[in-house]
Amino acid sequence: MLEQARSDYRAAAETPRVGMLAAPELKQASNALTAANDAWVKKMSKTEVDHLAYLAKQRAGIAVETTQQRAAEQAVAGADASRDRMRLAARTNEADSAHRAADTARVQAEEAQRQAVLAQQQADRARADAAGSQQQAALVLQRNSELQAQLDDLHARKTDRGMVVTIGDVLFDTDRAQLRAGGLRNVEKLAGFFRQYPQRKALVEGFTDSTGTAGHNQTLSSQRADAVRTALVDLGVGGDRIRTRGYGEAFPVAGNDNPSGRQLNRRVEIVLSDESGVVAPR
Amino acid sequence: MKTRASLSGAVALAGLLAGSALLLGACASTPPPTAQVAVSTAAVANAVGSGAPELAPAEMKIARDKLERANAAMSAKDYDSALLLAQQAQVDAQVAQAKAQATKARKAAETVRDGNRALSEELERKKSDTPAPRN
Repeated sequence: MLEQARSDYRAAAETPRVGMLAAPELKQASNALTAANDAWVKKMSKTEVDHLAYLAKQRAGIAVETTQQRAAEQAVAGADASRDRMRLAARTNEADSAHRAADTARVQAEEAQRQAVLAQQQADRARADAAGSQQQAALVLQRNSELQAQLDDLHARKTDRGMVVTIGDVLFDTDRAQLRAGGLRNVEKLAGFFRQYPQRKALVEGFTDSTGTAGHNQTLSSQRADAVRTALVDLGVGGDRIRTRGYGEAFPVAGNDNPSGRQLNRRVEIVLSDESGVVAPR
Repeated sequence: MKTRASLSGAVALAGLLAGSALLLGACASTPPPTAQVAVSTAAVANAVGSGAPELAPAEMKIARDKLERANAAMSAKDYDSALLLAQQAQVDAQVAQAKAQATKARKAAETVRDGNRALSEELERKKSDTPAPRN
């Protein structure tokens, strides 16, 4: 029994953990073993020595069990702390994630706001452009209708060569190349047209009926065309814009066998150019 | 081991129970170890309270047996035996209690460890569920 007590105590005392976690219990075991050893040295009865040795052996066992209990309790405390740390870390992570998500959302919202403003600006610009285009279209329409009004006023008719204004025979003195008042009024209207549309040019063509010689008719038709040209130039239209041509009795528009037909043939035609100033040749 | 008596410890104790001559030579008459028996009774009760009957049944039985025999020795006025038995019952009860408490603590440590492992796995799962931040 004493040998066993000594051996059990030695094993406990040589375990570092026992000394660390159950020092009081180990001390008690040591005291009990000392008492047993003393009894043995003093040659006390076997019963007494065995009894004291038994007590020491049990005390050594208590120290060992107590060590294990306290070690497990430390592990529990450590695990509790570890669990708390894990929870805290997880909560911190969640908070960080939430922050990041909030930041991302805020940045996205700001970006969306910026895009919305840009889109609004684009829309405004587009609207302004559309309004501008509309204005321009309206202007063009207005100019076109003004032009049309003027051409109507001039009694211009459309031909395959362009618009043509005709100055009839009654607007000239008979067999002369001098414009009467009415003819001058027509020329004034024409001058106004040319002032309004500076790009336009004209070819003034003179014609006669078949009465008289071809030569005389050629001369007269040229003179009448020139008269119109002169009147236009006098009214301020640039001379380089007006050309003249006499065709004599060529290109009749009516029969020369009756007075009204002949009168119709005695005419001056002003062929207006297109917007770029081109007059189509006959 | 050198001993005065040639008998082994257990036989010697049995001899004590029989109420034979005192072996503790120094004392002529031992007073009744009432205090020790009270302490031992308390120690056995503490061991029961700590769960030793379930967690350290063998050790508990030894302690209870010794306490019974100590009480029997008291009744028989064998105070020397009663003292020794009571002293042994006390440490036996303490051994049983220490073993019971160590077992409980070990189980608690396992439980928290398992709980932490489960918690750790769950938190890892949650982390991978959360979308990674865009930087």
